This record gives sequence, structure tokens and C-alpha cells, in this order.
Amino acid sequence: MSVEVIGILIIILLFVLFVMGLEISLAMALAGFIGYGVIVNFEAAFSIVAMDFYTVFSSYGFLVIPLFILMGQIGTGGGISKALYDSGYRFLGHIPGGLAMGTVAAATAFKAICGSATATAATFATIAVPEMDRYGYRKVLSCGTVATVGTLGCILPPSVSLIIYAVLADVSVGKLFLAGIVPGLLLAVSFVVTLYAWCKIDPTVGPRGEKSTWKERFRSLTSVAWVLGVFILVVGGLTMGFFSPTEAGSIGTFAVLALVVIKRDITWKRFMESVMGSVRLGCMVLMLLAGATVLGHFFAVTKMPFIIADWLTGLHVHRSVVIILILIVFLIGGSFIEDMAFTILSIPIFVPIIIKLGYDPIWFGVVFAVTAMMGIILPPMAMTVFVVSGITKVPIGTVYKGIYPFLLCMSVCLLILVFFPEVSLWLPRILMK
Amino acid sequence: MRSESPGRVLGFVRRISRLMFWISCGAILTIVFLTTVDVVSRRLGNPIDFTYELVLYLGAITIGFAIPQATIDRAHVVMDFLTVQLPPGLQRAFNITTRFLAIAMFGIIGWHTIKMGSYLHTTGQASAILNIPDYPVAYGIGFCCFIECVVLFFDVLEGSRGQEQ
Repeated sequence: MSVEVIGILIIILLFVLFVMGLEISLAMALAGFIGYGVIVNFEAAFSIVAMDFYTVFSSYGFLVIPLFILMGQIGTGGGISKALYDSGYRFLGHIPGGLAMGTVAAATAFKAICGSATATAATFATIAVPEMDRYGYRKVLSCGTVATVGTLGCILPPSVSLIIYAVLADVSVGKLFLAGIVPGLLLAVSFVVTLYAWCKIDPTVGPRGEKSTWKERFRSLTSVAWVLGVFILVVGGLTMGFFSPTEAGSIGTFAVLALVVIKRDITWKRFMESVMGSVRLGCMVLMLLAGATVLGHFFAVTKMPFIIADWLTGLHVHRSVVIILILIVFLIGGSFIEDMAFTILSIPIFVPIIIKLGYDPIWFGVVFAVTAMMGIILPPMAMTVFVVSGITKVPIGTVYKGIYPFLLCMSVCLLILVFFPEVSLWLPRILMK
Repeated sequence: MRSESPGRVLGFVRRISRLMFWISCGAILTIVFLTTVDVVSRRLGNPIDFTYELVLYLGAITIGFAIPQATIDRAHVVMDFLTVQLPPGLQRAFNITTRFLAIAMFGIIGWHTIKMGSYLHTTGQASAILNIPDYPVAYGIGFCCFIECVVLFFDVLEGSRGQEQ
């Protein structure tokens, strides 16, 4: 049996294991182990599995992931999001759809400390939806907005998705963070524009809220200043070379913890829940990485990523067509498999192709993150939609209806990023020469 | 007596998993404080030179020791949107099969990590500054994998008992 045939059979086995309900991390490890054993030998396969788990668990570089998760969890537990929402509401609440726009603004700021899409969606579903209900906003708009803004967590730094991409694609975390800022803000602005247009077309979906005084508005900016300070400390320190990504995760966590303790915003119980939640999530992500490392060793002996890269580059089509095809695979894969798992599974396969096509892997990281954002709200595995529907008790179908306008604007932003790479690349180029 | 024994073992395994999880939480908080102090003292020209190697050990404890509790809390990612559509009998068959596959996988990882640990023990590999031996990390990860096997085994037993009831 040829190596290519074994490769295809192992991929089929992998999907059978996924569908049977085996943990994705173990499915990748098991498929990689069997494939490696068949191609090389089982003695070597036993060693590689043990070595890969040992290496991932005791890796300094991978520790950045649980640390940034911890930073977000403490920020969430400390109720920073509520203060940010209050600020967004004070400034924008009085215009049609303004409470939803305020949610977008608050979620964008909250993203400076929290890298999880589902955590952001859950937080704002609890805070923003009841407030929008109070002013007569239709559920389709309020829940659709909250489910969508959570996805900003994929692209705005310090995004856990971007960190994982940087680790797997072996690119600078600092550069990738900088590359995510402008596209992230572009998406946030496009969400606001979408909301404005939606409320113009149908004013009943988002009526006006109360108008705040300028004194109230400026007073609400305190929390925004704190968060901005933490963001500048973490992303600035990282890009200026003051500390490594793992150290940035620790410093950021310490800063957020100091902030919520000084402001007396966190109880001991909430603090411990945040720590436990981040260890649990960190363990889940590192298990995925360990499984993907085993599978990656199998792919390396089959040389499959390079065979696919050669095949794609041999096609007589423009390289943009290949990118579009890859993005379609990402969208389909991301809507069926949990986004983090799909990222870890697919990045080692696609990055060599991107490099071979002559694209910048930093740019691709941003494009991939926007695609992942769309994958998170696309059925059937729309995580943030499930979270929002579960918290607000609004039918999933209503939440889905609310995300379609945003999906349209995300598609437009994605095309802008694909055809104008400078949108994402100019900031890292200026700041990190 | 017979029905009490698995319950007692399960309780013991759960307590061990919980204890290991608390150690994980302690380890990650230690990483945060140690690294922060190191960065600050480095800026002041007085770095803590053993931070890196201690963080490596603590990182392995953070992740390895959390595995059994993460399984108990159902934290690992599973693609279950297809299996939940199946009839209960088939769901149960898939569940038992995947639990045994997971036990086999963790058994392999645990056994070979311990073998690796004994190799590291023999060669005397240790960290550069504090001279902490590497083998306890490998033994620790191996131990966690075996605890995980027991957790998964009781998961199967509990699943079957729940089905019977």
C-alpha cells in the first residue's frame, strides 16, 4: 500500500473517530499513532506519542495559552465587561440601535483582555440583552448582535486563536497581534454600520434608549482607561520586546487581577472559578495541541501537506482561487468541528501551502481568524449562538436570523482582507521593522 | 459489599482528581506571580535566573494534573452533534467503544511516558541552574494518564449503571 493511500485511509479513520464521539484530541493522537505505526513501525509510534505529549505539556511556548485564557477569565469574573457596556451605552444608547452599537463597542474593548468568543458572548448575553429588552429591542437584533460580537475575540489581540496560529505556523505572536488590530476594528465598525442600516430599514427592531449627560459619559470612561492601560501594557510590551508571549500572559493576568482586586470587583469564589475555568480550558487546548502534534508527525512522514501544496500550485489557476478554496474548506470545517480543534487540525496542513504560494503567513493568520469568526456563528456548530440561546432562552432559529446581516458584512470584510493584504500588514510593518 | 466497592473506588479517584486539579490551579498562579516578579526584577537589573526552568515544571503540572478533572467536568472537545441523533442503544455502544479507545490511548501514553521517565532517570538529565531532575515530570505525566484511565473506566461503569436504572 502506498504512503498516499495510507494517508487517505487515516484521514477517513480520523473522521470516523470524530463522528463516533471520541475526544478530538485523542482521535488525532490515535489516528496519527496508527498511521505512524503502519508507515514507520509501532515501536517508533509508541515513543513518538509519549514524546509528543511530554513535549507539549512541558513546553514554555505553549504555556502562553492557559495564561491568556486566565487573564480573560479573571476579567470576566471581575465584571469588567459590565463597566464597559455601561460606557458604550452612555455614549450610544440614545440613537436608534444604539444599545446594540454600545454592545459592539463594549465587546471590542472587552476583547483587550478576554480572548474567548464564547465567554464574550455569554457575558454580553447576560448584561446587554436584558437592557435591550427594557427598551423594546427585538430579540432577533439583540441576540444576533450578542452572538456575533463574541467572535471579535478571534481577531482582536490578545486572541487565543491568533496565539495558537502563531505557535503552529511559527510566526511572531507580536506581529500577528498587531496585524489583527486594524481588521478587528474594521469588523467592529462594519457591525455598527450594519446595525445602523438595519435600524434605518426597520426602526422597530432597535428603538432609541435614554440620553445620558456628558458628565455621566465621562465618568463611565474610567473602566475603559483601565482596560486600555492593560492592553497597551501587554501588546505594547510584547511588540517592543520587553517580554516574551508567555511573560506577557503572566503580566496581563497580574495586571487584570490587580485591577479587579483594587476595585474590589471580584470575590474569592469568582476568582477561584476563573482559575479553575482557565486550567480546564487550557488543558483542553493543550490536549488538542498534543493530539495534533502526533498527527502532524504522521503527516510529516507521509509528506501529505507538501503533496497537496505541489498539487495546488500545479493547478493553472490564479493563487487567489486557491486561497478562496482554502477559505471555503475552513468555513465548512469550522462550522462542523469546534473552531479551536479545527484550527489546530488544519493549520499545519495549510500553512506550508500558503508559504509555497508566496503569501505572508501573518496575513493568512488574520484572514484565517476572520474565517474562524464566521465558522463560529455558522450552523450546525455555532457555539456563540448556542451560548446566547441557552442564556436568553430565545429559540436558536431567532438567533440565527439575527446573525445573517452580520455574516454578510463579515464576508465583505473578509474579501477586503483577502484582496488588500496591506489592511492587516501595514501596522506590523510600521511598528515592527 | 460488591456494589459498594466500585463506589468507594470512584469516590477515591474523584478525590485524587480534585486534589490534582487544585495543585494545577496553584501551579498556574505560581507561574503568574513568579514570571511577573522576574520581569519586574529583570527591568531593575536583578533577574531571577531559575524562572524559566521552574515555569517549565509548573507548566507540566498545570496541564498534566488537570486532565482527569477536565474529563470529569466534560471539558474536552467532542463532535457529538451526530451521535445525539442516534437511537439510545447505538449511542451507548459508541460511548463504550470510544471510552475504551480513550483508555487504550491514555494507557499507551502513560506507559511510554513512564518508560521515558526511567530513561531520563538513568541518564541523569537535569535542569541547568537548579539541577532539578527531568524524570519526575515524565513520571508525573504518566501517573496522570493512569488516573485518567481509571476515571474513564468508571465513566463507562456509571454510564452502564445509569442506562440500567
